[in-house]
Amino acid sequence: MKSFFSKHKYTVISACSFVFVLFIWQLVTDILHLVSPVMLPSPTKIVETFWYKLTGGTVPDGSSLIQNILSSLKIALGGYVVGVIIGVPLGVGMAWSRRFELVAKPLFDIIRPVPALAWIPLMILWLGIGYASKVGIIFFAAFISATVNSYTGIRQTSQVHLWVGKTFGATNRQLLFKVAIPTALPMIFTGLRLALGSAWVALVAAEMLAATSGLGYMIQISRLLGRPDVIIVGMITIGFVGLLLNTVLEKLQKKFVKRGKKA
Amino acid sequence: MIDSTTNSRFSTKQLIVIYTIISLVGLLIVWELVARFTSASMFLPPASEVLAAFARSFVEPIGQHTMLAHVGVSLYRVAVAFIFATIIGIALGVGMGYSKLFEAIFKPIFEFIRPIPPLAWIPLSILWFGLSDTGKFFIIFLGCFCFITVNTYDGAKNVDPELIGAARMLGASEKQVFFKIVLPSSVPYIFAGLQIAVTAGWSAVVGSEMIQSNEGVGWVIIRGMSTGNTVQIMVGIVAIGIVGFALANITSALERRLCSWNAQKGM
Repeated sequence: MKSFFSKHKYTVISACSFVFVLFIWQLVTDILHLVSPVMLPSPTKIVETFWYKLTGGTVPDGSSLIQNILSSLKIALGGYVVGVIIGVPLGVGMAWSRRFELVAKPLFDIIRPVPALAWIPLMILWLGIGYASKVGIIFFAAFISATVNSYTGIRQTSQVHLWVGKTFGATNRQLLFKVAIPTALPMIFTGLRLALGSAWVALVAAEMLAATSGLGYMIQISRLLGRPDVIIVGMITIGFVGLLLNTVLEKLQKKFVKRGKKA
Repeated sequence: MIDSTTNSRFSTKQLIVIYTIISLVGLLIVWELVARFTSASMFLPPASEVLAAFARSFVEPIGQHTMLAHVGVSLYRVAVAFIFATIIGIALGVGMGYSKLFEAIFKPIFEFIRPIPPLAWIPLSILWFGLSDTGKFFIIFLGCFCFITVNTYDGAKNVDPELIGAARMLGASEKQVFFKIVLPSSVPYIFAGLQIAVTAGWSAVVGSEMIQSNEGVGWVIIRGMSTGNTVQIMVGIVAIGIVGFALANITSALERRLCSWNAQKGM
């Protein structure tokens, strides 16, 4: 027993600290009633609500947790795919062709510092409050990281590799596809991961301002209805799904980049 | 990427300036023409109108304040939250990176909070703090704090163990090791974190003002939306973009000055 403890000492401490926080939380809410349940519901209440929403409960926002997750994912992935399809070639193009960079970079640089959220009002006015406007907002969030990282990745191509390619008579196109893009692949993947993260964050904001379903809508409407337990369930779900998306891409990155190195 | 511009009459710097002017002027002309002569004018005010309104916003108030005051309010919110986030983030990050015990205690709680986007805290912050500035400080704090903590933590974890070993061997106390070695070698990481945090904080202030406020740049655009005033929305976006650009550049210039020795360390 002693050796088990000394081996896993820090894991045990971590678990204790987590349980301790939950215990204090439970203590001040349900046991001692120091904090009103309207401000902060107890952990047990949150678990209860979580289970209720997960098993198909539609009160108070009109859809179950799974429906909300799917509706949010549909929007986030839609905007993300558009952002990546435009962002990656744009970044690669700007890094590869001097002339294209000279023309496109100033335009990109004026869009870049505007946070994706600031486009929300314009998108809503232009595209309404439906699917298209949310995809537009998420596009802006995703496209910036995708472009910046692809650009940096291509820029890191070793000059020597390009010279070798040229000496052996590679065409410009071959240099791009056989030398520069494989070099940039890890960076491009990092860009894809960051883009998915910012897409997910922007989604929450977009749904809080204009939506009829989705996780952002769920937490916003629960505030109006005074249901903090549903808000916290929503927040945890948002965090968890974001983490999950990131992990999936990380796994993909490991797989693909390794393969790229071997070949 | 390497296609030569060396045979050109202009130097690279001049070329960049010339092309920047060409592409920006081109954008404005296309925008102006589209807005004036196509049916898009319904949704898209001409560029000249937006620029004129932007210039006017410095003298004529939008809502209660002129543009400078709105920017000032938003910057003040970011600054207050940023300072708190810096202090707590660095303390937590260095602590977790340096002491295993500290890490074991705080990391699970931190990792639990970290993936939740700051804007998702808005409903809860309204319940807790009402519509006051405190709620906004809280949101922006969360937006900055995680980046600073994560970067500081990475920095403190990546301290060269040989340096620590050498210092211990020469009889440095635990306190000396911490203040003379761990903290200074985390500085470049901390700076990288602060830089991301400023941008994230600016984004968070815009978001939180859009959902709950009656002043600030986020309010300017959301007010434009609810009154159907597209020009005002665009003026707000221009202001947000300019300040965001300035913040990003100021922090990276500061980093270059204060951490110039990091350049050789690089990679």
